[in-house]
Amino acid sequence: MMRRSILKIAAALAFALAATAANAHAQLEKATPAVGSTVAPPAEIRLKFSEGVEPRFSGVALSAEGGAAVPLGAPSVDPADNSVLIVKVGKTLAPGVYTVTWHAVSVDTHKTQGSFDFTVKP
Amino acid sequence: MTTSSSRAVAGALAGAAAFLWLSPAFAHAVCGDRIFPATLGIDDPGVGDELALPTLTYLPQNSGGSQEFDASFSYTKTIFPGFGLSISDGPTWLRPGGYGWGDVDTEAKYNFLCIPEAEFMASVGLDVTWAHTGTPNMTNPYNNYTPVLDAGLGFGALPKSLNLLRPFAVTAELSETVPGQSSTGGNPNPTSLNWGFTVQYSLPYYNSHVGEIDNDFVKHLIPVTEFTFSKPISNFAPGTNQTTGTIQPGVIYMADTWQFALEAIVPINSASGRGTGVVGELHFFFDDIFPNTLGKPISKWGQP
Repeated sequence: MMRRSILKIAAALAFALAATAANAHAQLEKATPAVGSTVAPPAEIRLKFSEGVEPRFSGVALSAEGGAAVPLGAPSVDPADNSVLIVKVGKTLAPGVYTVTWHAVSVDTHKTQGSFDFTVKP
Repeated sequence: MTTSSSRAVAGALAGAAAFLWLSPAFAHAVCGDRIFPATLGIDDPGVGDELALPTLTYLPQNSGGSQEFDASFSYTKTIFPGFGLSISDGPTWLRPGGYGWGDVDTEAKYNFLCIPEAEFMASVGLDVTWAHTGTPNMTNPYNNYTPVLDAGLGFGALPKSLNLLRPFAVTAELSETVPGQSSTGGNPNPTSLNWGFTVQYSLPYYNSHVGEIDNDFVKHLIPVTEFTFSKPISNFAPGTNQTTGTIQPGVIYMADTWQFALEAIVPINSASGRGTGVVGELHFFFDDIFPNTLGKPISKWGQP
């Protein structure tokens, strides 16, 4: 009898958890310029995460082939969507391959990081 | 589970719950850019607050010749960052063999290494299956003690020229099961060596590091194949030390706070069973669902 009760409680817990809205590790869902894409020189980099992020504790770096850093503005979030981290690109990018390196702290303090390349076409 | 052990477990959980507000959230199996999913055949290399509920397994014919259906759960609570205690149990239906609960299984596990640049992490643990905690038809009269080593390596450190290989990861597990008594009723209780590994290709990693995936469902998938093996290495009856194991191809859907995994179970030989089984598991990451209460370690001890 007790074991059946445990199973019932467990099943109820599983359904309750499945319906729970929560924060989580901020995983990169989409980027502009897109991951691995070839684009015209971008004026900004937008990173769409799976969760809201804290711009004060998150950061983005951009480097050209060879590792030279490209100046970027301070990170901010989209006023309408705190899961979108935005940084302005400080200059017009010359054609070539660039690497975006990011780290993000979600609103529940979990940390994630990553990097990807995009190419600026001639 | 006996009534007394149930009370003991409930008491321990209640005691743990009383201290849950003391420390901040801590991540699950994340090392560098890599998030290792929870796998079914072997354990992942991380330690986190998580609940596998339910894990459902069907075997058309197990190693003992019976049709088997299992429903189980596993709950892990972090005590301090990188160290957790887990408890697992569940009912089994056998035909022939009947219904019953297996012995309660617990594990203390410590994540002692993470090299973020290499996406490499490793953990050690001690698993104990407790005697006399299952129903009479499915309990063992002795404890089993299993020291465990788990490790995982993501391939993200490969050069960009090998970009398509960077979403790959492998995890591995090595353990030895030592019985608490050498024989039962005149029959030897063997010591067994267990080993296994997984090969994974993370489409979430591909989407965020290699190239954008437009499909919202596909970009959460992690195709995986698991390999598990076991072999009695000492104190076994003559002719009973054959290697047994399974090959488990499947896929994991990894959402933000939960994941679902589904795998086939293919025995490697007749001693491991017959026919293709299946296992599915719903898994919740409490460090993400309850980051300020149930999902964080009880103590900050050792936190950088």
